[in-house]
Amino acid sequence: MSEITTLLIANRGEIAVRIARTARRLGISTVGVYSEPDVNALHVDSVDVAVAVGGSTPAESYLRGEAIIAAALANGADAIHPGYGFLSENAGFARDVEAAGLVWVGPTPEQIELLGDKVAAKRAAIDAGVPTAPMLEIDGSHFDGALPADMPLPVLVKAAAGGGGRGMRVVRSVDDVGDAVSAASREAKSAFGDGTVFIEPYLERGRHVEVQVIGDAHGNVVHLGERECSIQRRNQKIVEESPSAGISEHTRDALCAGALALAERVGYRGAGTIEFLVGTAADGSDGTINFLEVNTRLQVEHPVTEAVTGLDLVELQLGVAAGERLPIAQSDVQFSGHAIEVRVVAEDPAAGWLPSTGTVGQFFIGDAETGSGRGDGVRVDTGFRDGAIVSPDYDSLLAKVISHAGTRRAAALTLARSMRGSQITGLRTNLDSLAEILVEPDYLAAATPTAYLDEHPHVVAAHGPSGADEVALLVAAALADEGWQRRSSGSFGFAPTGWRNLRTTGQRQVWASARGLERHIEFHVRNDSEQASREGSAIVDVDVAVGPWPMPLDDGTLSDDERERVAVRILEREISDTAARLAIEVDGRRLRVDADRVDAPTDDIDVVVGGQVGGQTIHVRSAVGAMSWTLMPRFESHHGDGDGGGPVCPLPGTVIAVHVAAGDRVADGDVLMVVEAMKMEHKITASGESVVTEVRFAVGDRVDTGDLLVALEHDGSNQVEDESA
Amino acid sequence: MTIGTALRSRLDTRSDDYHANVAAMEELWAEVESELAKVPSIGGQRYVDRHRRRGKMLVRERVEALVDPHSPFLELSPLAAWGTQDPIGAGMMCGIGVVEGVEVAITGSDMTYRGGAANPTTWAKGHRFYEIVRENRLPLIVLNESAGADLPRQADLFIRGGQSFRDLTQLSKLGVPSITVAFGPNTAGGAYTPGMSDYTVFVRERGTAYLGGPPLVKMAIDEIVDEETLGGAEMHSTTSGLSDYLAEDEMDGLRHVRAIIRHLRWNKLGPGPSEPNDPPLYDPAELIGCAQADVRIPFEMREVYARLLDGSRFEEFKARYGDKMVCGWGSIHGFPVGMLGNNGILFSEEATKAAQFIQLCNKRDIPLVFCHNITGFMVGSKAEQGGIIRNGAKLINAVSNSAVPHFNLMVGASYGAGNYGMAGKAYNPRFIFSWPNHRIAVMGPKQLAGVMDIIARNAAAGRGIEIDDEMEAQLQEQAAALEGQIETESTALFSTGRLWDDGIIHPADSRTVLGMAISAAHSNVVAGATEYGVWRH
Repeated sequence: MSEITTLLIANRGEIAVRIARTARRLGISTVGVYSEPDVNALHVDSVDVAVAVGGSTPAESYLRGEAIIAAALANGADAIHPGYGFLSENAGFARDVEAAGLVWVGPTPEQIELLGDKVAAKRAAIDAGVPTAPMLEIDGSHFDGALPADMPLPVLVKAAAGGGGRGMRVVRSVDDVGDAVSAASREAKSAFGDGTVFIEPYLERGRHVEVQVIGDAHGNVVHLGERECSIQRRNQKIVEESPSAGISEHTRDALCAGALALAERVGYRGAGTIEFLVGTAADGSDGTINFLEVNTRLQVEHPVTEAVTGLDLVELQLGVAAGERLPIAQSDVQFSGHAIEVRVVAEDPAAGWLPSTGTVGQFFIGDAETGSGRGDGVRVDTGFRDGAIVSPDYDSLLAKVISHAGTRRAAALTLARSMRGSQITGLRTNLDSLAEILVEPDYLAAATPTAYLDEHPHVVAAHGPSGADEVALLVAAALADEGWQRRSSGSFGFAPTGWRNLRTTGQRQVWASARGLERHIEFHVRNDSEQASREGSAIVDVDVAVGPWPMPLDDGTLSDDERERVAVRILEREISDTAARLAIEVDGRRLRVDADRVDAPTDDIDVVVGGQVGGQTIHVRSAVGAMSWTLMPRFESHHGDGDGGGPVCPLPGTVIAVHVAAGDRVADGDVLMVVEAMKMEHKITASGESVVTEVRFAVGDRVDTGDLLVALEHDGSNQVEDESA
Repeated sequence: MTIGTALRSRLDTRSDDYHANVAAMEELWAEVESELAKVPSIGGQRYVDRHRRRGKMLVRERVEALVDPHSPFLELSPLAAWGTQDPIGAGMMCGIGVVEGVEVAITGSDMTYRGGAANPTTWAKGHRFYEIVRENRLPLIVLNESAGADLPRQADLFIRGGQSFRDLTQLSKLGVPSITVAFGPNTAGGAYTPGMSDYTVFVRERGTAYLGGPPLVKMAIDEIVDEETLGGAEMHSTTSGLSDYLAEDEMDGLRHVRAIIRHLRWNKLGPGPSEPNDPPLYDPAELIGCAQADVRIPFEMREVYARLLDGSRFEEFKARYGDKMVCGWGSIHGFPVGMLGNNGILFSEEATKAAQFIQLCNKRDIPLVFCHNITGFMVGSKAEQGGIIRNGAKLINAVSNSAVPHFNLMVGASYGAGNYGMAGKAYNPRFIFSWPNHRIAVMGPKQLAGVMDIIARNAAAGRGIEIDDEMEAQLQEQAAALEGQIETESTALFSTGRLWDDGIIHPADSRTVLGMAISAAHSNVVAGATEYGVWRH
């Protein structure tokens, strides 16, 4: 027995925050570590003291075992919890920790080594009677034999070391097996330093099901049920739940029993997960079960198990690491209801899950637990907050959000609601896709093979509110903005908004959404009484038209007005400096909307001028979803000297496309360049016929506000139009 | 500490009379509204289309694109020339709005009516507008394009027309900035508008300025030259120096204007609002029912005050003396004001009370709001013997020499010398706004016809002519015709068409409009008079 009084958490992000939370509840002091980019990260604020361990990349910081052990010793820590990732499955590190006289919160170094080798682990699993398909071990990096009878095509060539899909090859023809083995071996060798590969049957349309186990140093092991994590992108899980709704009781029992048998066989200590792939038989029932691997650490998705069992896995980990006996027997483990976890990641699903980095503006998760203890919200595990930086050096995981309800459907719908009400600005996230998955019929029917996302491209491309919801959020953004602008106006500020004694049009604006929509809106506030504008209490009627207003055609007549008319009432509007709460009624439907505004990056350029506030971004969120709208400047920016010149950069950003070259002749409105700024693509266009004299930036260049992007010379050949009446 | 105490309204807004009166007032307003609706496309659809075909915005579209989002815009004299041979609105737009947070005056020609060429009312409206710009010290923005004078009408235009250029240079001398954007041709006299402005912006390939166009140049000196070389935006920006800013297009021209306004670092010279600007206790929307559609029916001026003044607060002056003139202090949108309004005709007491009140407000630098519902001074031997001329003279002396800004709100009749006593048009108020029920003339149509009838009968009697049935019928017909003519010539529309006011407004907008006018007046110094003419005691 070695009591833990001070725990060093050798990790960052949400898992460090989560471990610290349990430690704090148990009265254990905490020591954190941080890299240079993380100096002010949430996880550093969540521990009692934290130690700088170096530079920005993982290798320079969180992977520096020696520095971490030194930090533990220097700060009186008696144990190290590695979290997941980084050093968590590094047997050498575990050994060093123990050698330094510290408690290692995890399995023994020998168990990590054994189970970390997929070939050895599978051998052990087979020996323990774990249900699994066979494997064909490959001696060396060459294979020229035939596949055995119990190994039908297709097969998977897999590296013994590593994970995350690297060193894996699906082979559908026997002729390709040899090449696949060579390639996979080469890849594994370079990625993990070990070229050992093996072959196992490839289960198409399988489900990823895993069993959580925990054991103590006294030979006691329990399983805590299974989790299903089939919904994955690039072999990385995105939705996880417990229990699995897609397998039979028989399969469930076989998996749990098998997992327990393997853990018992190796005398497993600590928390671990045994992962399986469950195939689908021709009749739709569970097919072949294949043992995949053992993860000798706490899993990202452990909260769903905590939700259904009511246990705190970190608390159990700390207990068994300290040498205590497991406080529970298998019969004590009771399962209640259904829990689902989603991983909110800084990636753009529609762009092939391209990682998105930058500074978080608003970080808001809808329906987060209020702390009332009644479980009246979702659990949020995150290492981020407003203003946090998402660096390309680390995982893209922003938050895990977990719902727990009596039924799977209720858990899914609760979580979907939370996702719709969530808003994380400044980055691309998968919030919209998650909200869509959780209400998608196949998902609700538990028809979730690992190929789910490939087979449901529309959920991947989901872009949040549409139709009436989108219009309502646009109107809310425009009216919040109107409130802010009138609030700050000192000149004739007493007059009703947009007051005219001779009205020709309403207020006309163009808004662009973060996902690239462009919406024209024209509105006229009809009865903005002083009472309403001053106290925000009276009901205000607004006539709104959505869509491009009539524009002159070639013959000078206006195009037909085909806009959608929307009757809006502002029922309530409370405005503070940067936040607003509105209750608006759009065509008879009332919606509560929270709005936040982001001040334009600068007010010193032509397109973003005082009282004009072009470029103002308004984030709106409601129960039907969240959007970010940016007010397009009324005025295009032209080069300052007013003669020739060309377009200047409206916002700081990066050039992502160049459409012209020097010498090109361009017409009014031609796109010259595209600049990505504020996560939006801004088209830089020509005004008037001109000739390109110089393209001053190339794709990938950083450009700043006011930079002349493309030098143009006006084409003098234009005829001056005859103006005589 | 606020000024005054809250007025209590006795208006029964549920009564049939009230509703009938509101309906009659709304009908009067509907007529005004339908006339207003004609103004933006007064040049006719064909010319509007042609203008747009050339890629140009209408003048009011330019204004919408120029002013601050959500800010109010008060168009002045939108129905000028109503009832005349000139187009309603006189082919130009004038108004007060907000650009870059600055209260500015904006004018622009309507190119769709005779190429923006000036007609006699254009000059009159422009002259009044420049008066407003100068007296209230408002930065001026001119959105210009004009073929110059409407040549066939030169006789009505030419001599007085030069005034606008003098106005512009005098503004410059006074430190009131002027910015002209040339959106199209600025020909002949029109070329002086940019010439006399502090700042000029020319829109590329659109704005031109020359004293004589290519046809005239050919006529005069036999030079054949194209427009751009003669007076194009680029030439003026690179060669002649007439253009200070070359704009890429119309929107860019407006952008330049906003940039220029920003560097003015403009400060108003008058004091800012000092009082709480809480809304009246009674809804200003009820103002339309406070006055009577039929100006012969009297109404209570305090009901108007109760819906105009902040918090309906009013501190009445000499409440029990000369009670047909309701004087006192209050505030509108935080600006302290002295109110004068009529609850009947002017007697000696009303005249001397108002004269004293005006002097007090001048001593305290408090602007004055005159709410007209006046049929004139009292006549008759008793009034004359009581010194009505002498006492009326005091009032005229006071309003003539008062130096604080005056604002007229025509809520009812304004007849005869009563109009003068209430500081009418001839007494140079900063702004005059009328309600649609407003009537203005030397006297009421019935009285005028009656007076003429008596004079005719007396003349007949003097010549010894007996009035037979035929003549009686003729006299009655004459009287009826005259009454009808005067009736027509004393309406609000007739008045506004002749620029006797700065616009007809919906009564419910009175607080907004007066607030904007008073605020605009505070762009200049607000200081009372120190000297008057001789008081006739």
